[in-house]
Amino acid sequence: MQNAEMEGTLLRLCKTNYIGSLKGMVNKMKQISEHTLNWIKKGHLTKIVIYVILILVSYQFIYPFMRMISLSLMSSRDIMDPSVTWIPRGASFSNLRVAILTLDLERTLIGSLWFSSVLAICQTVVSAMTGFAFARFEFPGKRFFFIMVLLSFIIPAPVVIIPRMMMFVNLQEAVGTQMIGTPIPQILMTLSGQGIYSAILILISYNFTRMIPRSLDEAAAIDGASPFQIFVHIILRLSISPILVIFLFSFVWNWNESFLTATFLRDNLPLMPGRLAAFDNLFASYGQTSGAAVSPEFRLNEAFRMSGTLIAIMPLLILYLFVQRQFIRGIENAGITGE
Amino acid sequence: MQNAEIKNLLLRFVQSQLCCSLKGMVIVMKMMYKSKTNNGKAISRRQALTGYTFMLPWIIGFFVFTAYPFIYTIYLSFFEVGKSILGYDLVFTGINNYVIAFLRNPEFVPNLISFFIMELTYAPTIVIISFILALLLNRPMKGRSLLRTLFFLPVIVMSGPVMSQIMDSGAASLEGLEDIFIFMMVWNYSPWLAEALYNLFLNFSMVLWFTGIPIILFINGLQKINVSIIEAATIDSATSWQILWKITIPILRPIFLLVTIFTVVQLSLFSINPVADMIQNAIIYTAGGLGLASAFAWIYSFGILLLIGIAFLLLKNPKDTPAKEQKRLERK
Repeated sequence: MQNAEMEGTLLRLCKTNYIGSLKGMVNKMKQISEHTLNWIKKGHLTKIVIYVILILVSYQFIYPFMRMISLSLMSSRDIMDPSVTWIPRGASFSNLRVAILTLDLERTLIGSLWFSSVLAICQTVVSAMTGFAFARFEFPGKRFFFIMVLLSFIIPAPVVIIPRMMMFVNLQEAVGTQMIGTPIPQILMTLSGQGIYSAILILISYNFTRMIPRSLDEAAAIDGASPFQIFVHIILRLSISPILVIFLFSFVWNWNESFLTATFLRDNLPLMPGRLAAFDNLFASYGQTSGAAVSPEFRLNEAFRMSGTLIAIMPLLILYLFVQRQFIRGIENAGITGE
Repeated sequence: MQNAEIKNLLLRFVQSQLCCSLKGMVIVMKMMYKSKTNNGKAISRRQALTGYTFMLPWIIGFFVFTAYPFIYTIYLSFFEVGKSILGYDLVFTGINNYVIAFLRNPEFVPNLISFFIMELTYAPTIVIISFILALLLNRPMKGRSLLRTLFFLPVIVMSGPVMSQIMDSGAASLEGLEDIFIFMMVWNYSPWLAEALYNLFLNFSMVLWFTGIPIILFINGLQKINVSIIEAATIDSATSWQILWKITIPILRPIFLLVTIFTVVQLSLFSINPVADMIQNAIIYTAGGLGLASAFAWIYSFGILLLIGIAFLLLKNPKDTPAKEQKRLERK
C-alpha cells in the first residue's frame, strides 16, 4: 500500500533526523503538564487568585488614604495640572500647615480629647454595670430588658432626638442653667446608658462577665462581700482588658459622632468632626484674618480639604497603630455572634 | 370642632400609652417581690433587687431618653410646635405635617428616595463583599493579620464629616466609570438602575469602608462552625462549592441577619445621608419646625425599621436548619 510506504518513509525520517528532538519535546511537555497539575493540586493557583483579589480589594480600601496623602502635598498648580496624578511636582507641607491653623489644631485636639474621654468613661462605667447585672442576677423582666437593649440599637437617632432636645430645653428653663450648648445633655444620656452604640458595649461587657467563673463571686459572698464589692474587686479587676476595649470603642465612636453633637453641643466646644464639617467656612475666615486670601495661590481646593481631613484623622490613626489588636479582639469576643 | 376631638383622642392615646408603660413597670415591680419558688425566697428577692440596682441607670435612661421620646415623636408629628417664653406650645394640626412632608416640601421625598436607594444598593453589597472577604481571610495564609488590621482601619477613622470631605474631593471614586461599556448598556436599559449602580461604584471605597466590623463578625462565625459537619460532608464527597452553599451559608444565617441589621443602622447613622441633614437643620435652625421635623424623623425611621423588618423576614431561621444541627452537636 502507498500509505504504508509513506508511513515507512516518515518513520525513517523521524528516526534519522527528528527523533531525538521530538522525544525531548514530548518529555518536556509531559514534565511541564505534570508540574502544573501538581502545582494546581497543591492549591497554589487558588492561593494566587485569592491573593490577587485581596490585593485589589485592599488597594480600593486604602485608595482614599493614598489619595488623601498625595493630594494634601500638592500645590494649587499641581491640582490643576492633569499630568500630575499621584506624585506632586513641588511637594511641600504648606497645605498641612494651613490646615492645622484652620482647624485650630491645639484647641480642637484638647476639646475632642477631653469630650470623648469624659463620655467614654461614663459609657464604660454604665456598660460594665449593666453587663454585670445581666450576667449575674436573675430578676423578673430580665429577658424583656435584654431585648430592649438590642432594640435600642436599631432605633434611629433622628426619631428620639427631638423630644430629647425639648426635654433639655425645658429642663434648662426650669433649672436656670444653660444646657444646650454644653456637654451636659450628652453626659446625662451617656450616664444613663443611652450613648452611641451602647447596646454593643453592654453586650461586650455581658459576655466577658459571663466568662468569669461564678465560684469566685460565691467565695467572696461567703466571706461577706457585698454585691458592690464583688463588682469592684472581682469583676472589674478581672476584666481590665475588656474594660479597655469598651473604653477604646466608646472613645472612638464618641470622637467620630457628629449628629448628636451638632444638636446638643453645637459649636461651643471645638471638636474635630465639627471643625472638619465646617472646614470650608473656617478656611475662608482664616484667609481673611491672616491676609492670605489676597494671594492667588490661596483658594479652597482638594489639596486643602484633604490636608484638613488628614490632620483630623491623624490622632485616631496614631491611636489605632498602638491598640489595633484590642479593637479586633473586642469585636471578636463581643459574643454578638454567639446567640 | 373635629380637630379638637382628634386632639383629645390622641392625647388619650398617649396617656394610655404612658399608663401602660407605667402599669408594666408596676407589674414588673410586683413580680420582683414574688418569687416562683418557696425556697430561697429572700435570696432571690435580694438578687433581683441588686440586679435592678445595677441596671437602674440604664432602665431610667431607657424610659426617659429612648422609649418615651420614641412615642412622643409620633405624637409630636401631629402638632405644630411653637416656642414661647413659657416653653413649647403645641397646636394640633392633624396630618398637616405629613401633607407638607409628602406633597409640599420639594426636597424631602427625593431625598428619602435617594436614601433608600442608597440603603438598598449599599447594604447587600456590603454584606456580600464582607462575607467573601471573610471567607478568603479565614484560611491560613501569609499577611492575614496585616490585611485584617487594614480592613478594620476605616472603623476607627470613619465619621460623617470625614466621609463627606473625601467624597466631595473625589478621592473615593474609581476613574473612568462612565466609559465602561456594560455600564452604558445598563444606562440605556434603565436609567434608574444605572444611577443606583453609578452611585454605588462612584464611592466604592466608601462602601468598602463599611465592611470593617462585618468582616470580623463573619470570620468569627466561620471559626465557630463545627468541623465535624464539614468533615462528614467531605466524606460524602461534597465539593467545597456545595459545602459553601449547603452548610456554611445556612449555618451563618443568623450572622447574615446581624450584619445586615448592623449595616442598615450604620448607613443611616452617618450624615452622608441627606435626610438626617434635613432633620437636623429643621431642629437647629427653625424654631417652629419641630413638628415637621418629627414627621420627617418618623417617616424616615419607619422606613429604616421596615428595612430591618424585611431583612429579618428574609434571613430568619427556618425550621430544621444546619444551624440547629450545629447547636445539637454542641450540646452533645
